[in-house]
Amino acid sequence: MASLTRIGAWLHARAENLLAAMLATMFVVFIVQIVFRYLLNFPIGWTHEISVIMWVWLVLFGTAFVVRDHEEIRFDLLYSTVSERTRRAMVVICAVTVVFFFAISLPAVLDYIGFMKVEKTAYLKIRFDWLYSIYGLFAVAMIVRQLWLGYQAIWGRPGDPIDVTKIKSGI
Amino acid sequence: MSLAFALSLGLITVLAFMGLPMGASMITGSILYLLMRGQDMGIAAEQLLNGMYTNYIMLAVPLFILAAEIMNSGSLSERLLNWCNAVVGRFRGGLAQVNILQSIVFAGMSGSAIADAAGSGKMMQYMMTKDGKYTPSYAAALTAATAVIGPIIPPSIPMVLYALVADTSIGYLFLGGVVPGLLMAGLMMLQVAITARIRNFPVEQPVPLRQLPRMTWQALPVLLMPAVLMFGIYGGVTTPTEAAAVAAFYALIVSVFIYRAVKLPDLYSSVLTSAKTTASIGMLIAGALVFNYVVTIENIPRTISATLLAWDLDPTMFLIAVNILLLLLGCVLEGTTILLVIVPVLIPTAQALGIDMVHFGVVVVVNIMLGLITPPYGLLLFIMTRIANTSMRALVADVGPFLVGLIIALLVFTFVPDTVLWLPKLFGYVSPSITP
Amino acid sequence: QDKPVLRFSAVFSEQDIRAEMMKQFGEGVAGFSTLEPYYGGNLFKQGTELVALQRGNLEMGNIAPQDVSNQIPAWSLLTSGYLFRDAEHLRKFFDSEVGAEFKKMAEDQLGIRILGPTYFGIRQVGLRIDKEIKTPADMAGVKLRMPGGDAWQFLGTALGANPTPMAYAEVYTGLQTGAIDGQDNPLPNVENMKFYEVMKQIVLTSHLVGYDLLVISKAAWDKLAPADQEALQAAATAAIDFSQAKHVEREAELLKKFETDGLKIYAPDVDAFRANTQKLYLESELAKSWPEGALDKINAL
Ligand code: NA
Ligand code: NA
Repeated sequence: MASLTRIGAWLHARAENLLAAMLATMFVVFIVQIVFRYLLNFPIGWTHEISVIMWVWLVLFGTAFVVRDHEEIRFDLLYSTVSERTRRAMVVICAVTVVFFFAISLPAVLDYIGFMKVEKTAYLKIRFDWLYSIYGLFAVAMIVRQLWLGYQAIWGRPGDPIDVTKIKSGI
Repeated sequence: MSLAFALSLGLITVLAFMGLPMGASMITGSILYLLMRGQDMGIAAEQLLNGMYTNYIMLAVPLFILAAEIMNSGSLSERLLNWCNAVVGRFRGGLAQVNILQSIVFAGMSGSAIADAAGSGKMMQYMMTKDGKYTPSYAAALTAATAVIGPIIPPSIPMVLYALVADTSIGYLFLGGVVPGLLMAGLMMLQVAITARIRNFPVEQPVPLRQLPRMTWQALPVLLMPAVLMFGIYGGVTTPTEAAAVAAFYALIVSVFIYRAVKLPDLYSSVLTSAKTTASIGMLIAGALVFNYVVTIENIPRTISATLLAWDLDPTMFLIAVNILLLLLGCVLEGTTILLVIVPVLIPTAQALGIDMVHFGVVVVVNIMLGLITPPYGLLLFIMTRIANTSMRALVADVGPFLVGLIIALLVFTFVPDTVLWLPKLFGYVSPSITP
Repeated sequence: QDKPVLRFSAVFSEQDIRAEMMKQFGEGVAGFSTLEPYYGGNLFKQGTELVALQRGNLEMGNIAPQDVSNQIPAWSLLTSGYLFRDAEHLRKFFDSEVGAEFKKMAEDQLGIRILGPTYFGIRQVGLRIDKEIKTPADMAGVKLRMPGGDAWQFLGTALGANPTPMAYAEVYTGLQTGAIDGQDNPLPNVENMKFYEVMKQIVLTSHLVGYDLLVISKAAWDKLAPADQEALQAAATAAIDFSQAKHVEREAELLKKFETDGLKIYAPDVDAFRANTQKLYLESELAKSWPEGALDKINAL
């Protein structure tokens, strides 16, 4: 069990590395784009494409594997004031609902992603089924995560108290 | 409105109240809708992926977040504070004025109020309360209130999001925020000056004026940053989206090479924190994109617009109604959600009434920023109670006067559109509703 | 009251001439179906309508020929520069035998039925700089904003310019500040987006006839009775005629308006541009997928 936790922590750290690398890539590519157009008078387009791809992957990969639920933007006014017991019940209800709807939509979602093999990106000619496959991963990860959260809520130890300064918001 | 839509909206509300992240709630509720209407549930993926892939402008958001993180991890804020202290510390209530002045300069670099409060705000809190000069709650209230102007003075993440839903020029929106932001800061300076006399706030040890040039020189790279950004955008070097990358780049150069204050591990942690914040705000955007499909196919904006127009509201009444609605929603909802879910529904009506989209945008953003300091749900209030270790009740009491002042300012921006539009017009903006 | 619903998605706004075209069309088919239009790319984003049609999430759309050529390389011929001379020529092509071949390709391979081309203006180069442009050589070093993607950037290069991709929404400020030197759009777009305020001249290169395709999914088409199919096609043709005439008229008006606004407007050596462009196309990879002899047939129309 201890080694399993260690492997989990190791994987999480690698996922964090990957996530940071995606943002760094987006940043670097932007700078390259400005330098090429403004300083070298040689506009390039593929930078555009890489940064958008990084954005899509960053959000879905990050949500699936790195960001924890309490770091997501959520409405915790009620959640943070109710009793531990009620909170656990709320987590279970959410988990069951999310698992149900994500699972029932999964075949159609995979079908859409597979269908996108007919399109390619404008510059790098990346097939869209590959590019969009991250949504499939995201959907499966959502299901697994919610199952885990539900399990924890029923059988696990009490959750950590909510830290309001950790709430993420872009504004 | 169909039954499927009502149930979908209901499910989203229930899930959100039960603490499920907003993005996941909206995707789940939308799938329920697709299922009930017998539509292709692959649309959930289709709308999310294509919506994110085709909206290039959104890329400014992660880059502005990154810029703010780097600025907070370097010693940029510290040098800025020293400079502000040298300039306005000598007046009564000096440190309080320093808090406002540094917020103005910081606002010119950062696009996020939360980042301002968590970064330079933390330092300000420490300075104001360390010798018992100010009560923790007053310092925290001022820091929260001044952080509000962060995204009103450009650059601004909420304005990027608004530009996205309203299809407006980011460049002009940014310009539109300058005067309102400065007016709000000026108003707070006035309030502080008056309170300082009444409560007899302390004066700081004046920094000799002959030291001012040296301190200005030290803070110059920071002080120049707003100008660099503006030059980038309005001088033809970058697009407004690219300016976000320039902001991050500049902050990086200044903190790593000029101040030598950021080490590689710090940099990694800045990038990672920004990436996580990006993922969580991106997930909210993603959820809103999926739910937007449901709202569109149900013709909700058109229906609401028709209803509102049938009431025969004049633009003034409509704007008052919008202000009230947004201020109330701001008490219970997170700002990004309001921007991405509620505001798009209001835009068709505003357009039909001939309200200028840049003016409307600034009014909306000011409203949403005020939502950050209105109880019970105000993110800045939460963060400052924690940073200041003070009670919510005390904080709310001290925020009250600032909030009143800011609401008065909001009313001025609402009814005198030129407070917003004067600067954009100076730069060549032509309000589409004025030209035939 | 269970007339089939035709969901229609387009990028143009509700105020556009083409929205009026769709209103006319909707009235024309009201007897046997209900048109549900969504404008402004609110339902499906630009460039994603084709897949939505193919997957049955949409019955009708106004899609760019570039989107078709993504899936059928032969169609890239129909997106090439200096192919159609004007709106008339464009229509003549879609009514011709060779046009029918292309329509059949789309029907067989993508499951969409093309009702006709919706003309929205000829793309002209608009510049914020003073330099007089006569030949492609004069365009050297000019940062010309073109839509993203290889095919568009190729056309920009063929015009002799330095093609620069930039989001459409950023073009105005780009022109104003000098991040780009020019853009290429039909005149009605130049008016809509107020580009003319930040331009000094319009070079009438007429390098590409701008059009989209009014299409209906084959699944929706096949559900209609033959008489209704005929009526739908007739309604589409009438609506397209109306929209095309409006656009041609509008372009002429705008030329006058921009001239009185003080913009310099003139035609360059169009033959030099055409020769250079067609030569580069024929030497390129793109032309390899073009059907044998199709280009000559179109030129001869
Ligand atoms: Na700002
Ligand atoms: Na402050």
